[in-house]
Amino acid sequence: MTTTASAAPTLSRGRTAQVRLQRFGAFLTGMIMPNLPAFLAWGLITALFISVGWLPNEMLGGFGNADLPGAWQGAATQLVLADDGTTFRQYLGLVGPMVTYLLPLLIANSGGRLVHGERGGVVATIATLGIIVGSTVPMFLGAMIVGPLAAWVMKLVDSLWDGKLKPGLEMLVNMFSAAIVGGAMSVAAFFGIAPVVSQISTWLGDIVAWLADNGLLPLMSIIVEPAKVLFLNNAIGNGVLVPLGAQQVVEQGKSLLFLVEANPGPGLGILLAYTLLGVGAARSTAPGAMFVHFIGGIHEVYFPFVLMKPVLIVAAIAGGMTGVATNVVFGSGLVGPAAPGSIIAVLAQTSRDSYLGVILSVVLSATVSFLVAAVILRASRKRDLAAGESGDLAAAVAQTEANKGRSSAALSSLVGATGTAAPVRTIVFACDAGMGSSAMGAAVLRDKLRKAGIEGVTVVNKAVATLDDDAADLVISQRELTERARQHAPTTRHVSVDNFMNSPVYDDVVSELGASRAAAGAGEAP
Amino acid sequence: MSEVLTRAACRAEGTARTYEEAIREAGALLVEGGAVEPAYVEAMLERERTMTTFMGNGLAIPHGTLDATDQIRRSAISVVRYAEPLDWKGSPVRVVVGIAGVDGQHLEVLSRIALVFADTDQAQRVAEAGTTDELYGLLAGVNA
Repeated sequence: MTTTASAAPTLSRGRTAQVRLQRFGAFLTGMIMPNLPAFLAWGLITALFISVGWLPNEMLGGFGNADLPGAWQGAATQLVLADDGTTFRQYLGLVGPMVTYLLPLLIANSGGRLVHGERGGVVATIATLGIIVGSTVPMFLGAMIVGPLAAWVMKLVDSLWDGKLKPGLEMLVNMFSAAIVGGAMSVAAFFGIAPVVSQISTWLGDIVAWLADNGLLPLMSIIVEPAKVLFLNNAIGNGVLVPLGAQQVVEQGKSLLFLVEANPGPGLGILLAYTLLGVGAARSTAPGAMFVHFIGGIHEVYFPFVLMKPVLIVAAIAGGMTGVATNVVFGSGLVGPAAPGSIIAVLAQTSRDSYLGVILSVVLSATVSFLVAAVILRASRKRDLAAGESGDLAAAVAQTEANKGRSSAALSSLVGATGTAAPVRTIVFACDAGMGSSAMGAAVLRDKLRKAGIEGVTVVNKAVATLDDDAADLVISQRELTERARQHAPTTRHVSVDNFMNSPVYDDVVSELGASRAAAGAGEAP
Repeated sequence: MSEVLTRAACRAEGTARTYEEAIREAGALLVEGGAVEPAYVEAMLERERTMTTFMGNGLAIPHGTLDATDQIRRSAISVVRYAEPLDWKGSPVRVVVGIAGVDGQHLEVLSRIALVFADTDQAQRVAEAGTTDELYGLLAGVNA
């Protein structure tokens, strides 16, 4: 309250920006994290069954000609367009449909749910199919935009007649409004958004080609790494770098361009950093992802780890630049594209005079990206640990927000930078069955709030499985359970306790609520 | 309807030396009181394997899994106090409260027990209650 009125708005603007950024990070995590198993499944299937995989299978990998004599006709097939415009029948396989449809649709569904529950998820999924079929590049970026957007539109539309419908009509209206919004959004996305994302992908490719032409090779990583993480890796790798590289091989016998995108070093460094310094599910998933990435060559499995904590892209870029620079210095390169980007494929394609440079480029890029990622993860580790999950800034967001409240700049200027409204009205204690420990924790906190004279806060207990984002403003759970609780209510603020009877967390909550009540009172005063 | 905590379900001198024995001891009191089927005790052990019911301040509250609810005849709790702390998966426990809860009837009682144990002094007094009468006397208020 000692902050002067003139300083307060600036401070609160800075904090607002910070809160928004952290919220955004939490939202991204909520979209990606639940779908990690699907990414891994796809990575494993790809590493095994594609034509250059470990157990090539033309039906599962989707590269066999379905018209060959004796080909099994029970497998789904599709018409594939050859370069000369003729079509032929080829097995569809699992790999293509998973990356084209399954993963973006899952992301869209999670994103939609975060915005508008189950219903939002369904509408988001319908709409996202529009951009998927309206484009030739994987639509991860598109799904992350269109999914939440479609759910938000549905939310607006629902609010138009919320509570105004006759009981008998509700079901009918709800079904058809979602169908119409979803259908319309998928058509709009097909024509409106798919071309935009496709165009972005083309531009990125043009920039990379320009950098290669002008000898600014390490700078390519600034474009390539973010593009990779947005699943434009194939568009850039196969679309730009491989053709350019092939040209160089004709002239010089080898090219480092094949390694710009395919170098598994940067991803390895990031996954290693998560393995050692991450927390929660991200940490326990990272070692498996490391195997699929480095040996299997499926880089996609590390993308979610970056998408969850977008600042890690700095680590990927630094690693990528190191790798490119190393190959420039040693004049080393590959004789052909390393696909998939496995260390084994890379070594198999390494020019005979380039082993030292190529191996060093992988090792050094992994080291650099590991170090940068380690610093980033380390810096936020305490906060992530308190929140019970790596990469998820929800707790930090909520903390900042609780400190500042959802107050407008005007209110902040009245009460100073710590001024706050009262954001926490419902607190839920969550435990496994909702039978014992959570009831006791709730009782203790209720008692503490009563003794502190804080009114208007509801404290209840629930089983973790029945939680959702509308359940509470704050969820308190045992440390081992916080992660599961967060999956059920990803945008709600979570705190963990070790000791239900006597946790310092209770006193923090009580004093925070007390402070926010006092400040809100001050804010309302003339 | 009988009270959720009866004197017969209190024991001031627990004999268990491990947390598993302690769960059986607290569970046996529930079985003897006719509150649960013997199978419920197995569910209590199973529940403990997935997650500790240690609550802090020397208290553990073993109870069954959600699936075992049909083994419960009526809501009841048992209390066993130990002169020496038990090693409850790494945490020290002096008082074990076995819980059989259906239809939320036990929640009021649990809330009051929580308030007793949230107060370090009171928790200490319960842990030092040498006789069953003393133990029941300190906790009987939770039935009210």
